[in-house]
Amino acid sequence: MPGEWVDDGRADVAVAVAKKRKVRGLGSERLREALVGYGFIALPMSFFLLFFIFPIGYAAYISRYDWGIFRGPFVGFDNYRQLYHDSVFWQHAVRNTLVYTVTVVPLQMAIGLSLAVVVNNAIRFRTFFRAAFYFPALASSAAIVAIATYILASDGLLNSFFGVLGYDHRYAWFSRTDTALPSIIGLNAWTTCGTMMLFYLASLQSISTEVYEAAAIDGAGAWRTFWKITFPLLKPGHFFVAVVSIIGALQMFDQSFIVGGTSGGPNYSTMTVVLYLYNRAFSAHFGYAAAVGLVLFVFIFTVTLIQRLLFGKAEVA
Amino acid sequence: MADERLPTTPQVLAVGELTLEAEGVGGRPADAEGIPGRERADRIRTVVTYAVMFTVAALFFIPFLWSLSTSFRTIADTVQGFSLLPRHWTTAGYHDVFYKYHFGRYTINSAVIAVAITVSNLFLASIGGYAFARLKFPGREVLFMLVLGTLMIPDQLRLVPIYQMLVNMLPSWVGHLGWQNATFTNRNGVILINLVSAASLFLMRQYFLTIPRDLEEAAKLDGAGYFKTYRRVMLPLAGPALAAVCILTFQGSWNGLFWPAVLLQEESQRTIPLGLVYFQTIYTTLWPQLMAASVVAILPVLVLFVLFQRYFVAGVAASGVKG
Repeated sequence: MPGEWVDDGRADVAVAVAKKRKVRGLGSERLREALVGYGFIALPMSFFLLFFIFPIGYAAYISRYDWGIFRGPFVGFDNYRQLYHDSVFWQHAVRNTLVYTVTVVPLQMAIGLSLAVVVNNAIRFRTFFRAAFYFPALASSAAIVAIATYILASDGLLNSFFGVLGYDHRYAWFSRTDTALPSIIGLNAWTTCGTMMLFYLASLQSISTEVYEAAAIDGAGAWRTFWKITFPLLKPGHFFVAVVSIIGALQMFDQSFIVGGTSGGPNYSTMTVVLYLYNRAFSAHFGYAAAVGLVLFVFIFTVTLIQRLLFGKAEVA
Repeated sequence: MADERLPTTPQVLAVGELTLEAEGVGGRPADAEGIPGRERADRIRTVVTYAVMFTVAALFFIPFLWSLSTSFRTIADTVQGFSLLPRHWTTAGYHDVFYKYHFGRYTINSAVIAVAITVSNLFLASIGGYAFARLKFPGREVLFMLVLGTLMIPDQLRLVPIYQMLVNMLPSWVGHLGWQNATFTNRNGVILINLVSAASLFLMRQYFLTIPRDLEEAAKLDGAGYFKTYRRVMLPLAGPALAAVCILTFQGSWNGLFWPAVLLQEESQRTIPLGLVYFQTIYTTLWPQLMAASVVAILPVLVLFVLFQRYFVAGVAASGVKG
């Protein structure tokens, strides 16, 4: 462990050796350091260039061809023009993605914030509760959807529960056009709110305790303290959580893919932009799928950019 | 809980991300003694808080417990109406899943992919993170920004170009190098495109930045080269960050669905999540088997989470909020 290097008395000898070595000259030492640096980052950098940077340009290139499985004729912006008039894309994929985003994001934020505020109190079993709320975010999405399918089946746990309450219907929630997407929204609000809770917790802990002491002295109640002090002070937190949540929501794929298959069934009701992209690519319309990908990228990039401009110098999101 | 489990780490643990979760950093002073009426109000609040917490926690657990309970049922049992526990306990679901529906193989596939990606992330992210944190070379800042920039590129944009690269370009490239008829629309492809992530590299670099330079200086004076310094001084000190990268990468690749769905075409290559998807579309109502497979998919991550909770939390913190 660390101690070995300093505590064994070799330091004095080392200094002497180092003095002798100084003869070597600074220039060559710097050059050596730079070369070693390049050597160390060579593998990771070539990976990032090959599998992240290059694919952007390559996607743009592919999107300008009538590219089935292999490259076909050059078609300029035809794929984009076709996409502009694509009713499945706009009326189902984009519409569902937007509906999903504007409902799931506020849900995740509200639940995440409530959980964070509660868990942030000095209560017993804090660690346990935090773990319990966060775990669904870590479990395999495929397994979660499988469990949800079982619970939301026509003779499943949810319908039994509603039956006890007197609403005796037999919905297979994931199989009806009017309930499939709302079910996914509910499911994902549940799985992802734990992550939002953690973000909010970090944010909450950066608020100085003095503010609360002052509020307590003024006799402000818990409810009032929350709305007048905590909520406004969390502004950067709200913003960050909103952006992370929006970006995640715009990329929703797993749940639709499992519930609705590649066609976003039933009747396109769970079709999302990303699922549509996957669907186009694997029905041998790679050029078209590349165009969908770039449009989505530009959209997400804009959201991120707005965040950067408003949020300031955050290093990474 | 997980806090005592931590190996003894030097003070360098003071890096924001990995200490963020120390217990008892409560945001507000809980006691407000001396203010009349406050005590009773506080007590009511405590009771309400606990009631809400336990209810919500129960809601969070019910789906998992229900699937666990169903995984030990017979099929007949699942259609007989509600009962909390199985009427006849059986492990037939698990037996079927492993021996009849190939989940044994899927588990091995998932494990191979997750372990390979994790090992390569640990190596590439730590060596790259060390270089970016400590070594000076022209263009370092620009290159690092480039790495961070890759976080903004969604996987979906990469689907088409990467698929085309793996199908058309790479096989011919490696063919020139003497590896004929290579294919990458399989396990190798999934591993290849996940060798290192910008998030892992970022986490490692941030951690290395917080390690005091004295130790390296001492090593340098001892005549240790850069690689030896990395290997013998920096890596042993970076335990918490390595653990976070290890656990998060493993969890991410074990659960991954998108790239396996894109690249794994043969049945024998499927991972557990992909196997679950196909199983669900074919055998819609074999609930005990489906739930058994789900338990198999969730269990390793649950075990990791129970043992190393703080590293998961550290990863989330590192991926987001600064300060």
